[in-house]
Amino acid sequence: MHIPDGYLSMEVWTVTTAAGAAAAGYALRRTRTELAQSQVPAAALLGAFIFAAQMINFPIAGGTSGHFLGSALAAILFGPWAAAVIMTAVLIIQAVLFHDGGITTLGANILCTAVIGSFAGYGVYQAGLRLLKGRLQAAASFLTAWVSIVAASCGVALLLALSGAAPLGAALNAMFGWHALIGIGEGLVTMAVAAYLTERRTSLAPGGAAA
Amino acid sequence: MSGGRDGRGGAGAREYRLTGSRRKWMVLAVLTLAAAGLMSPWASGHPDGLERVAEDLGFLERAAAVHSLSPMPDYEVAGIPWEAARVGLAGLIGVVVMAAVLWAALRALAGKRR
Repeated sequence: MHIPDGYLSMEVWTVTTAAGAAAAGYALRRTRTELAQSQVPAAALLGAFIFAAQMINFPIAGGTSGHFLGSALAAILFGPWAAAVIMTAVLIIQAVLFHDGGITTLGANILCTAVIGSFAGYGVYQAGLRLLKGRLQAAASFLTAWVSIVAASCGVALLLALSGAAPLGAALNAMFGWHALIGIGEGLVTMAVAAYLTERRTSLAPGGAAA
Repeated sequence: MSGGRDGRGGAGAREYRLTGSRRKWMVLAVLTLAAAGLMSPWASGHPDGLERVAEDLGFLERAAAVHSLSPMPDYEVAGIPWEAARVGLAGLIGVVVMAAVLWAALRALAGKRR
């Protein structure tokens, strides 16, 4: 779901470029305290994984495909601020090296994918784990991913409507409908990878127990 | 420097932490390379969600490139006769650039705690 150049009106892309730059700058600042030096290799690797996974479009229905987004997975593993930085890096490299997603729309893509996608997902994940008292991590991850990609797609729909590309109702309906389906794939991948790469803390074993 | 693996931003509600298993991260690296290098040429060519909506709602033709400076447009390295190799190589280059850029950027940023 990369908005190409031309989809957004000049007013919308100007404002979203400024807002996207501000959000990315603030996320970089927060990452200083949210991400530990020892997590850097893992975070860089996850960024590469998300880039690779985004290349794999899978058919969903009616001659349409979807691809993994990854904001929710990054937020589950590294928190929403570092996730926003990781997703922003993915978007910049896709736009610059591969002409996937516009340059004028980079800010809009950062707002939808990196900011909305990471934070909507993270909120659901935190609430879910708290509600379930830490059980059923898989269910929380699945829901997190679904909400994340659907929220991001609704953000895109809103910007399209503000740009006069389509009426708001129709844009929301269509974006929601397709991404509710793509979200199932997003949920399954996120669930599997998050479960594989995390382990539950136990109060019995003090830190430092061998892995 | 040990024990830093459970940074504060990490796995939700402080119930879960990142795995410390090197093997699992290696598996992720192998999966990443396989997806970018081997699987990407066989990805579905159908329009994705947004492109489909653009078609259905009639704003597809709004798309207008403002530059043609990308070295690998549409995830293809030019000048190779075999399409799967064009795409797979572009994927591998992307993965390496991605990891290198993030590593450098995050290493400069992370863990600046008092």
